[in-house]
Amino acid sequence: MRELELYFGPQHLGMVGNFSITLKVEGDRILEATSNPGYLHRGFEKLMENRTWIQNFPMVCRINVVEPDSMEMIYTMAVERLAGIEVPERANYIRSIYLELARIGSHLFGLWAYSNLLGFDTVAQWAMYHRDLILDLFEELTGGRVYHIYIWPGGVRRDFPDGFKDKIVSTLHSIGGCVPDYDATFFNNRLFYERAKGIGKITQEEAKKLGAAGQVLRATGTKFDIRKVEPYAAYDKVDFGIPIREDGDAYSRIWVVRDEMIESVHMIFKLLDKMPEGEVYNRVPNPFKWKIPKGETYVRVESSRGELGIYMISNGGDKPYRVHFRTPSYTHGLIVLEKLLKGASIADVGNIMISLYVVAPEIDR
Amino acid sequence: MNNSLKREIESMFSDIQVIIPEDTRILITARKEQLLIILKFLKEKGYNHLALISCIDWEEERQFEMVYILTSYLQKNNEVTGDERLHVIVKLRIPRESAEFITVIPVFENAEPYEREIHELFGINFEGHPRLTPLFLEREYKIPPFRKDFDTRKYVKEIFDNIPFIPEKK
Repeated sequence: MRELELYFGPQHLGMVGNFSITLKVEGDRILEATSNPGYLHRGFEKLMENRTWIQNFPMVCRINVVEPDSMEMIYTMAVERLAGIEVPERANYIRSIYLELARIGSHLFGLWAYSNLLGFDTVAQWAMYHRDLILDLFEELTGGRVYHIYIWPGGVRRDFPDGFKDKIVSTLHSIGGCVPDYDATFFNNRLFYERAKGIGKITQEEAKKLGAAGQVLRATGTKFDIRKVEPYAAYDKVDFGIPIREDGDAYSRIWVVRDEMIESVHMIFKLLDKMPEGEVYNRVPNPFKWKIPKGETYVRVESSRGELGIYMISNGGDKPYRVHFRTPSYTHGLIVLEKLLKGASIADVGNIMISLYVVAPEIDR
Repeated sequence: MNNSLKREIESMFSDIQVIIPEDTRILITARKEQLLIILKFLKEKGYNHLALISCIDWEEERQFEMVYILTSYLQKNNEVTGDERLHVIVKLRIPRESAEFITVIPVFENAEPYEREIHELFGINFEGHPRLTPLFLEREYKIPPFRKDFDTRKYVKEIFDNIPFIPEKK
């Protein structure tokens, strides 16, 4: 049969995001796949070298459109580490609650993309609606729906408004009440099983060899979660489980996502119960004259997609000397995806890509 | 844990510098010839997760600094032992004028896109890398854009201020 070159994306119905893949196909089989990022390359890391520590915040959160909150968190953590700033206890709890809400929102968005791709339009609409409820919470807390800039060096920008705790609880109850519906229509649906079982299968050894993290790795049976391994914010104060699956295929990855959402809801309830009273913000120096001592640091958090890290160098000035982000989609979208697409069929390209949870802006930065 | 690792690395080479700046960090400064041996040793020791390869342009010192950050996955039985918190950071410097380096793909497969990116944005050549093709950029740049002497504002002015004005047709 003849070998053909097929361009998949960026304008393709099966493609989510500004990303494309060049496929070498023979009939329906993919012989070779090449990821082409760069459609959203804005050179943020370079631009950040020309802006002060605080001015960088609006850029940091635009690196990952779907979940900007872990990005804020990681940048803040690096700045705090370099400058030696302490965070009040209550702010740590608020940060954890906020990040878990963001994780649920991001997972619902991912569930929208995935179920939409498989043709489960009803489930996709539900997921989008429930994500909107989370965005309403963010709007009340921070003023912004998608980009919040809420986590700040020294704590968080403001305390919970009156009655916000009850609002979180009632929102989560209304989302959690729909889990049986989700299960009946999607997760326990034979169609989902048939479409996702055995697709994009990766073994644990291979996932580790390729530097994978997050659901991709947890779906192969490793309980690797940075919230447990290297706790930050208030994650060491509560007990929570890490959902895993053994098979390493698309089916397992989406089930891990579902279980993680439920685990996050439980964790938020526990954090709300334990949350102490007190200040939420330690004053930092005047941001216009803020100089951070010489140093370098690498910190990482568990974002909704996997290991998110930042390598930051300060030269003793009012601007960072170098910032480099380690984003989970970078590894998953550039190496793991290329590997998994080899030998797959054309119909499974979107399926594999979205089950790996690749977001293009995170790759390009 | 850190101290025994420190001693073991120091015993491998006489001219290697190992510092422990904090409890959970180890900083190794090496030479180019030692890099692959050290990375292979660390991988066997359990630091099997290459989290990031970064590059820094120290313009005043006329050097590039390569940074390899290694952490470890959970070792066995999915138990968190605390060793996973240790970050091993391997650093080396190369002269800015002859930006030639070696690839670490034989040891860590996931180094491939990182090195490709550094090649594109800093103009460092990695010997033995299978495809140093463009990753993000669409244009050719005289100076690789992430080097410190690349002035973004000047570049934008030169390129986008010179786009000719198209008169409106009547």
